Amino acid sequence: MKVILSLTLFILISTTGFSQFKKKPNNTLPKPKPSQQNKFLEKQWWLGFKAGTNFAQAKPIQSFTVMVPTNYAAALNAKSYDSFLKTGSQATLEATFYFKGFSFSVQPTYRHTRFTYFNQFRWYNTENSAETLELRYDQEQKLDYADFPFFIKYDILHDKIRPYVQVGIVYSMLINANKAVKVSGTDYASGGTNQFANEAIIVGAKDLFENYWSLAAGVGVNYNLGNVRVVLDASYWKGMSNISNTKNRFGNDRLAGIGDAQDDIDLNNIVISAGVLFPMRFLSSNFKTLDR
Amino acid sequence: MRYIFLFALLVVFGCSNDSDPAADKANFTRIYDNNKFNAAYYPIDIKQTPDGGYLILGGRRLENSNFAGIYLLKVDAFGGFVSEVEVDDELVAPIGPLMLNNNNYYFFCMTNVGLQTQLVRVDGDGLITDQFAVGNSYPAAAAADGNNFLLQSYNHVDKRSVVSVVSPTGSVSSSKEFSIGAGDAVEEPIINHFLQTSKKLPFLVGKVGNTYYFNGFYNYTLSLAFTNLSADEPQGIVQGQQDDGGISQAVPLDGGKFALARFNFGDNYFLPSATVSTSGISSSSDLGGNPLPELTPNASVKILRTTINARNVVLYASDTRSKQIALFGYDEATGTFIGSKYLGFSNPFEVASIATTADGGLAVCGTTYVAGRFTRICLFKISQEELAEAFKGF
Repeated sequence: MKVILSLTLFILISTTGFSQFKKKPNNTLPKPKPSQQNKFLEKQWWLGFKAGTNFAQAKPIQSFTVMVPTNYAAALNAKSYDSFLKTGSQATLEATFYFKGFSFSVQPTYRHTRFTYFNQFRWYNTENSAETLELRYDQEQKLDYADFPFFIKYDILHDKIRPYVQVGIVYSMLINANKAVKVSGTDYASGGTNQFANEAIIVGAKDLFENYWSLAAGVGVNYNLGNVRVVLDASYWKGMSNISNTKNRFGNDRLAGIGDAQDDIDLNNIVISAGVLFPMRFLSSNFKTLDR
Repeated sequence: MRYIFLFALLVVFGCSNDSDPAADKANFTRIYDNNKFNAAYYPIDIKQTPDGGYLILGGRRLENSNFAGIYLLKVDAFGGFVSEVEVDDELVAPIGPLMLNNNNYYFFCMTNVGLQTQLVRVDGDGLITDQFAVGNSYPAAAAADGNNFLLQSYNHVDKRSVVSVVSPTGSVSSSKEFSIGAGDAVEEPIINHFLQTSKKLPFLVGKVGNTYYFNGFYNYTLSLAFTNLSADEPQGIVQGQQDDGGISQAVPLDGGKFALARFNFGDNYFLPSATVSTSGISSSSDLGGNPLPELTPNASVKILRTTINARNVVLYASDTRSKQIALFGYDEATGTFIGSKYLGFSNPFEVASIATTADGGLAVCGTTYVAGRFTRICLFKISQEELAEAFKGF
C-alpha cells in the first residue's frame, strides 16, 4: 500500500512537472502582451551552493536481536531509538530552473546523518539482591550519503522576499557507515556498587546498510540580494524504503558478539539549509535578474 | 525528459529493500539469555527439526548436584525462542548427540542418585515423551548405529570402559567392558570429567564397517580402541599419553581413512585424511598432523562431513585462544586446506556442535559468556552462500 501511494504521488508530481513544459491554449480573456523584459523574466536558471544541518529519526520497520530471552519479556531488552535528536550536516549543489512561478531543482547533496538507540539488560537473583548486574548498550550510527533530490518549488510571493513551498523525491546512495557501541553498567555483585563504562567499540558498518529513497516536502524563502539570491529552506524527508541490508544484519561479528543486530529501518530527516544561488541568464549587464 | 523520469522511477522503486525472511532464516546469530544471575546453560548438541527449527540439547547448572542438569531448548527456523524444558534434576549428566530414530530424538543421561544410565526420548518440539533405563553407569559418549545406539559408559565399580549396543527401548543387545587399569589415579580424570571440575575428556564411540571404536580409557591411557565387541581385548589401539594426549575427535571417511584431531600436552593437531591402524598398537603422537597453535590447549574439536560447492569437505570446529569459534575446511579427497571462518567476538565463544541444515547451510551451536560471565547458549546459522565463499579453496 505504501509503495502504491508513493508511486501515485510520484506520478502526480511528475505529471505536474511535465505540464509546465507544455503550452496550454489560452481559452480565456486575452492577456496583455508581455513586455520583452517580463517575457525574459519568466525563465531563469539558478546555480548555487547551500549547507546546513539535519536531524534524523530512525523508525524500526521490524526489530531484530541477537539476545533472545527465554524467561523474560523481550520488551525489557527492546531498543529505544532517539527522534530528531542528533545533528548531522550536509552540503548541497543546487541547480534550479525557474518558469512562471515554478522551479524545478536538482540538488546533489553530501549528507552526514546520525541517530542513536540504546537497550538495557538486567540479571539478578531474587533471593539475593546484591547479585545483580545491569548493562546498558548505547549505539550511535553515523551514515554518509550522496543524495540526489529532485524538487518542484512554487513561489508563493514574487517580491524581493519570495517564500516558497516544495515537494520532491530523493534517492540516497550510501557512501559510508560506522557504528559506535558504548557499554556501561552497574555491578552490584562484586562487593559494592561498581559503576563502569567501557571504551566505545567503533566498527565500520557499511555492509549493514543499503541505498534508499525518500519523499520530501518543505518550505523555504528566497531573498534577492542584487544579482544573488540568498536561500533558506527546510524540508522533511520521509524515508520510503528500508535503509538496512537485510542479508547482513548479523554480518558484523563484533556487533553480533555483543548482542546487536541491525533492525529494518525507515530513516526520516529534517533538513535545514542556507545558501546562495546565482542566476545564469541576464537581460543586460545592469539588469537585476528577477528583482523588480 | 520523460525517459529520465521513467528511469528515476525504476531506480527509486528498484531500491525498495523490504524484509527478507529467506535471508533471515539463512543467516543469523542468536544468544539465548536467561536473566537469572546464577543460571548457567550450555549446549551439547543441535539438530534441525523437520519444521525448519532447531532442537538443542544442553546442560545446566544445578544447585544441589555436582553433575550437570538437563536442558532442552526448541527454537524456530529464525532462531527465535519457542520453548525450553529444564528437566527435573533426578536426571543428570546428559551426553550428545541427539540421535534421530523414527522421528524422535534420543539422548543418554543418568540418574542423580543411582548413577544409572537412562535413554530419553524427545519429540521434535523438545518435549520428553519417554524414558528407558539402560543400566550402565556414567554415560560418556554415544552414536547412532542404524536403528540402535552405541553407548560408551564408565563402570565405576569395576573401573572399566564399557561399549554397548542399545535399542531405542533401552535394552542392551551387545556389550563389552575394558579395564582402565588398577588404582584410583587412573579413574580420577574420568570422575572429574563428569563432575566438570577439570578438563573435559574427548570420549567418543562409533562404528566403521563391522568394527566398533571408542575413545576412552583403556590400560591406564586415553586410547582410540577398535573392538568387535566379542574379544576381551581390543583388536587395535591408538594410545594417548594417559589423559595428557590422545585423539580429540575421529570421524571415519571412505577408504578406511579417518578425519582426526589429536592433542598432546596442550598442543592440537588436525589430520583431515589420516590412515589409522585398526589392529595392533600404535601411538597417537606418531600420527603427526597440522599443528594449530591458535587453539586453546587440549581443545575440544568437532568434525563434520559435508558438501560445500559440490565438493566433499571435512569441516573442523574448535575454540581459539582469542575466544572465538574457528571453522577449518579440508577437501575430503585430498586433505587440502580450503578455507577458514571465525565466529564470535567481544564475548568469549566456545563450540559445542555443528550440523548441516536443510538449506545447505551450517548451524554452529556453542557456549558464550554474556557480559563476560553468564554461561549461555548461542547459535550461528551460516548460509550456503557464506559457506561457499569461506571454503572455496585457493
